[in-house]
Amino acid sequence: MPKQKLAMVIDSTNCLDCKGCMAACKVANNVPDGEWRNWIKGSDPQRRAGKPVVFQPGNCMQCDKPTCVTACPTGATYKNEADGTVVINRTLCIGCGQCLAACPYGARFKNKDLGVADKCDFCAERRALGLEPACVSTCPTKSRKFGDLNDPSSEVAKLMKSGKPVQIANEKTKTDPNIYYLGETGPADWTVAAKMPDAFDFWRGLADPVVKVVVGLSGLGVLAMLGKQLIMPKDAPPEEHKDRKEAGHE
Amino acid sequence: MNNSLILRHTKSGIFIHWFNAASWFLLLFTGLGLIQNPDLQPLGSWYPNALRAVLGGGGLLIIHLAVATTWLLVWLVFIIANWSSHVQPFLAQVFTLKPARDTEWMIKKNLQMTLGYKAMAMFMKPLGLGPKLPEQEYYNAGQKVAAQLMILGALVLAVTGIIMLRGKYFMAIPMADIAWVQWAIVVHYIAAGVTFGILLVHIFMAAIAKEERPAFWSMFSGQVPAEYAEHHHKLWYDEVMTNTSNK
Repeated sequence: MPKQKLAMVIDSTNCLDCKGCMAACKVANNVPDGEWRNWIKGSDPQRRAGKPVVFQPGNCMQCDKPTCVTACPTGATYKNEADGTVVINRTLCIGCGQCLAACPYGARFKNKDLGVADKCDFCAERRALGLEPACVSTCPTKSRKFGDLNDPSSEVAKLMKSGKPVQIANEKTKTDPNIYYLGETGPADWTVAAKMPDAFDFWRGLADPVVKVVVGLSGLGVLAMLGKQLIMPKDAPPEEHKDRKEAGHE
Repeated sequence: MNNSLILRHTKSGIFIHWFNAASWFLLLFTGLGLIQNPDLQPLGSWYPNALRAVLGGGGLLIIHLAVATTWLLVWLVFIIANWSSHVQPFLAQVFTLKPARDTEWMIKKNLQMTLGYKAMAMFMKPLGLGPKLPEQEYYNAGQKVAAQLMILGALVLAVTGIIMLRGKYFMAIPMADIAWVQWAIVVHYIAAGVTFGILLVHIFMAAIAKEERPAFWSMFSGQVPAEYAEHHHKLWYDEVMTNTSNK
């Protein structure tokens, strides 16, 4: 099967801020109270004086350069090469929360029922049944479109050619997200620079090299002892027997 | 010549040694496989990938946690049941160092193990020291330092492991306090690395170095030849001999 590049192409101007996508997602994915896999952001009416308010539906951007994957120690979060989504293997996730801080979109949360990281996966379970993601299916104005960008006949691939799709990405963190917005969209400045947790930076920058040196030195010491044993198999103190007699033991 | 055998390890001592060895082997094997991040994995991606192919990602974590929990519980029972017979005397021995004597022993033993007796004697001469190693107790200075570091490593691994559990299990720690878990991972890794470094030397000395071979067999039989005890642990040997002759 050829590799997919699953993506959403969203026409913000059609979004009514009805929150239907958020409700549908919560039900479809059994998201606990107070936690959300997707959102709708509104443009700031003050700053956009004179222009209509535009809404910006969003969720995990399934980035091609995912900073959350970089922050994951166990590989529980990874880029699915088959369809381009960023996946969480719940059995491997240890709930350390490093990916949460590393996501510029705040798209991740710690699922309080499961104790593991959680986020949008473009409704993997529904897709396995041949359905679209719940938010896409439910959207009354069809603001959200979903499909495979690698398939030129898909609706999303055609939309990409028709308009001027933009990505929402932080200046400091080029994540190459797979959600595209057509034309006018809401705020573009709400993302944050990906911040690796201090513990992670310390591990990668200092702890890991130091541990490798310590183990390496220990290994070298063992090799030196092994080499000596092979080169001098009969090494023994010359005065050993004398000492023993002096000590007076039988 | 004294060819008799001296009791060095009791059955419970031998049990906890091999139990610990097996646990640590499994924990190292699975724990190292849990690190898949290529920036952090010391052996390269093939290792975690191979383990996941065999055990599945979740299986790897579950085995690590199951072995760790068993390890901790067995140790707790062992410590409580054997506090006065084994644990307290062991701690008293390994944490008692005589700095001058033990430093001299460490320097001499390291030179002798890597360069040989002659070179060691040559280095010692200008210092006004003979080639003879200072007499040692039940544990020699190297064993004591190794034991101290391994005890410390084990404690740190246990505590950080329990903190890490709270990332996911046992009423997961609030997100505001998640840095505890994140730091626990790093410290766990450091402690495992240092402990492994000590283990390399420990395994070489016991299983590969010729002179300590009787000590290796004593971890099965419990006994060492008196001659070995006299040569390597003179102060302990004298103590044993005095005690037996007084009886």
